[in-house]
Amino acid sequence: MRSGPLAPVPVTAAAVEKRSVAPALYGIGVVESGAVFRVGPTSPGRVREVFVEVGDRVEAGQKVAVMDPVDLDQRRAAQEASIARLEASVRAASARTSETGARKEYAQAQSKRYDNLLKSGAVSVDAAEAKRQERLVTAAAWTSANADLQASRAELERAKADLAALASQKENLDLLAPAAGLVSARASEPGTTAVAGQAVVEIIDTGSIRVSVRFDQATASGLRAGLPADIVLRSGNGRVSGGAILRVEPVADPVTEELIAKAVFSEMPDPLPPLGELAEVTVKLPPLPETPVVPDGALQRYAGRRGVWIIINGAIVFRPVTTGRRDLAGTVQILEGLEGGERVVVYSARALTPKNRVKVLETLEGMKP
Amino acid sequence: MAERLKRGITIEGLRKRYGSGETAVDALKGVDMAVSPGEVVGLIGPSGSGKSTLLKCLGAVIEPTAGRMTLGDDVIYDGKWKIKDLRALRRDRIGFIFQAPYLIPFLDVTDNVALLPMLAGRSDGESRKRAKELLEALDVGHRASAMPSRLSGGEQQRVAIARALANRPPVILADEPTAPLDSERALSVITILNAMAKQYETAIIVVTHDEKIIPTFRRIYRIRDGKTEEMAGRGPGLLEGEPGLPAVEA
Amino acid sequence: MISLAGRDILHGWGKFTLTGLGLGLLIGVTLTMGGVYRGMVDDARVLLDNSGADLWVVQQETLGPYAESSSIYDDAWRSVAGMPGVEAAANVTYLTTQVRRGTEDVRAMVVGVDPGMPGSPGQPGYLTAGRHIARSHYEAVADAATGFRTGDEIRIRRNTYTVVGLTRRMVSSGGDPMIFIPLKDAQEAQFLKDNDSILQQRRRTASNPSLNRPGVPGLLESVIASQSANLNVNAVLVRLLPGADPEETAAHIRRWLRLEVYTREQMEEILLGKLIATSSRQIGMFLVILAVVSAAIVAFIIYTLTLGKIREIAVLKLIGTKNRTIVAMILQQAVGLGVLGFMIGKISATFWAPFFPKFVLLEARDAVTGFAAVIVMCVLASFLAIRAALRVDPAEAIGG
Repeated sequence: MRSGPLAPVPVTAAAVEKRSVAPALYGIGVVESGAVFRVGPTSPGRVREVFVEVGDRVEAGQKVAVMDPVDLDQRRAAQEASIARLEASVRAASARTSETGARKEYAQAQSKRYDNLLKSGAVSVDAAEAKRQERLVTAAAWTSANADLQASRAELERAKADLAALASQKENLDLLAPAAGLVSARASEPGTTAVAGQAVVEIIDTGSIRVSVRFDQATASGLRAGLPADIVLRSGNGRVSGGAILRVEPVADPVTEELIAKAVFSEMPDPLPPLGELAEVTVKLPPLPETPVVPDGALQRYAGRRGVWIIINGAIVFRPVTTGRRDLAGTVQILEGLEGGERVVVYSARALTPKNRVKVLETLEGMKP
Repeated sequence: MAERLKRGITIEGLRKRYGSGETAVDALKGVDMAVSPGEVVGLIGPSGSGKSTLLKCLGAVIEPTAGRMTLGDDVIYDGKWKIKDLRALRRDRIGFIFQAPYLIPFLDVTDNVALLPMLAGRSDGESRKRAKELLEALDVGHRASAMPSRLSGGEQQRVAIARALANRPPVILADEPTAPLDSERALSVITILNAMAKQYETAIIVVTHDEKIIPTFRRIYRIRDGKTEEMAGRGPGLLEGEPGLPAVEA
Repeated sequence: MISLAGRDILHGWGKFTLTGLGLGLLIGVTLTMGGVYRGMVDDARVLLDNSGADLWVVQQETLGPYAESSSIYDDAWRSVAGMPGVEAAANVTYLTTQVRRGTEDVRAMVVGVDPGMPGSPGQPGYLTAGRHIARSHYEAVADAATGFRTGDEIRIRRNTYTVVGLTRRMVSSGGDPMIFIPLKDAQEAQFLKDNDSILQQRRRTASNPSLNRPGVPGLLESVIASQSANLNVNAVLVRLLPGADPEETAAHIRRWLRLEVYTREQMEEILLGKLIATSSRQIGMFLVILAVVSAAIVAFIIYTLTLGKIREIAVLKLIGTKNRTIVAMILQQAVGLGVLGFMIGKISATFWAPFFPKFVLLEARDAVTGFAAVIVMCVLASFLAIRAALRVDPAEAIGG
């Protein structure tokens, strides 16, 4: 009866202890910089010269590249000429306004006089009517001339503003580092055209280097800012750097079902870890109160429920349990179902049923697979 | 004649035809024979004379064509077999001794002899006891538990004789029992046969052409062309209790 | 009464034993072949049992995920989980590949499972050492048949994993041992290529003018990022609520989600009826041939043994042994040979079965059937010898 379905199943056993479990969260992260400055032109142009190389340190306001003005000066001249022309228009419009204004005054006065004369019967109705008509015409002409004047003035303002814009663009030909940092990329070489918004030089703020780490949503409860974290860089040969969780991002990733958090080093490693390098981040949560615990290998399913097999005199009884949290060593809290001290099956050679008898061994190593 | 026919084996007018029609051969053309219990007779004749056929008829292994055979008080053949179970007949009432001992090689000496009584229904213990008695009588008792291959030719032959006697058959047919033996051994076998015949009151028919032993028979049947004729032998047999002296007939 | 058969065997025990040994090895091979077949069926059954699933949700129009490749979006599980009757639904990926440890490699089926609390569908139901996967990356639980031990560092495609636990009898239907790793790592292993291919793909994308537009900064990066994303899994494993009807829930999922769903019975039929059907026919033919060869050998041996005893049989018949006794002797010898052969065969098969690379299942009922077959075969095979023995003329013993 040593083999076959009736033979006792080899298992190992352990006593249920009462312990405090210190869960930990584990995630893979990428080294990134909190602030990345992409310095580029505000309007399309050609790169004339780039003054920095990748890896250079720059100060705030330092000129890192300069764009080619191209036709900027010509456009400025054109704009100034435009302004002159518009100023002349304004003067002409102003003169016309005065002229039509004078006529309007005169026509108005005449119309008033003739209205009075009409009352006294000195003039004919037609004559008064004609003066009234003139009054209206000249008023309209004045309004029109006035409008022209406003328009010309507005155009002049606009042209002046355009000129100011060209001037500031000229200033913007100089690409300046907005803050102190490290040049991380030279995106365009002299001679290439860059559109508005395209980066010519990328600068990162070395002080804001951190790890953007992702945790599985399902197992990340308890993650919050301030928790201590161990960071292991992939190229670091297993060396553990201390750190902490800076913050948990308010926006998670619904596609990959992960929470995103930022972890910072308590001491920046030297040399700086390159951006994009992978790191393993382990966040230690505070220990939980004591409960009965079992190794997670002891958890098995039977009859649709999760539980453990308790050994009583070589026979086994299934006890459904409610589990709590688990630490990274595989120890699981049992919230309901066990008291502590029971002897449970940990490793088994087969899936168990209540009919099985078990043979408790020290270890299952060496058993034929 | 009348006393002789009381027990023992008797044959009258036995015929045997092989085949039919034109190719038929009459091996036996009317054989008469009678052997009394305790008597040892010889049956001589040239080859092709029907010796073997006669022996086979006597041994109830082939069926004669006509005639009558009596064994003891029973008519066993009368135109057709009168006995239903010929095998039982052979087992219980006819003993066989062959040219070679033909012992069963995978049975020891005792079991070779005890086999027949066991087949006849006797208990194992009784069968073996009887076997041992016979072996003792034949002076091979000391080889009772050996395997046949270990025995000398003469010892094997004696065991064969013991086997033939095991069920105390009324008749024993011996086919050239001395053929491979030298004269001393041959005479020894004949002497034993005579002694056994007397002791157990068995009729023994010895088919032979061995010149050495022919003189020992008191009566001889010569078969020629399918017919027998009885002859008086030189030997005294043992019927009269005298030690036999070889004498040769012309 | 003496046992003639027994005495004859004892007298020539060397020859008899050697013959029994030869026959026994032949029978052992036959039993083992039967065990190979049963092992294949058991592998399939165990695969289905160990997945912990009641339903398998796969790509439409496929027989996946074991018999055929199947690919579905990895967010499909959410819709499945919401279906009536479903207690739990979990993504799973399967990839058969070589797994390296140091300089040696092993063929294994890499299973991507949700690394949450043990007990979700797809995870191994019991361990023989170590613990379940706790971290969301780079940990593995391996079947002991891989030869790995806890603490080993193994390499699957692009990444290195630490073996944290061992299981037993977790095999694919092809008999390859399973290795469980976190789902995301498995997705990457299955759908992401090696570094050289990735660089080439990036170059190709960058040289495509419609994807690399200078006027749209950030477009190229987005395209490359989307190419590297792996949003597929092979199946969703479903565990039903107690009392839920599998076919009803399956029909629901098929209708509303436009995915194919197989119940446990249907999966078993697919695996047995399609996947291993050819192999089992092959084994069946082999078994028939073996049986015929064994019968022929027994017939030949017994016939030869009998012929060697023709003279003794004639003598026995002459001196009055019944035909029945002689037939019984031959029959007993044949059956004795069969019994001896079967014992040797059963012991041999039990001895060498564990050394086979795939699982060999020797069932008691097969042994019983085999024993009956051997006896019947021996009886039939002895007919030739019996016929010869019965034909012997006792008169032959009388010379001339």
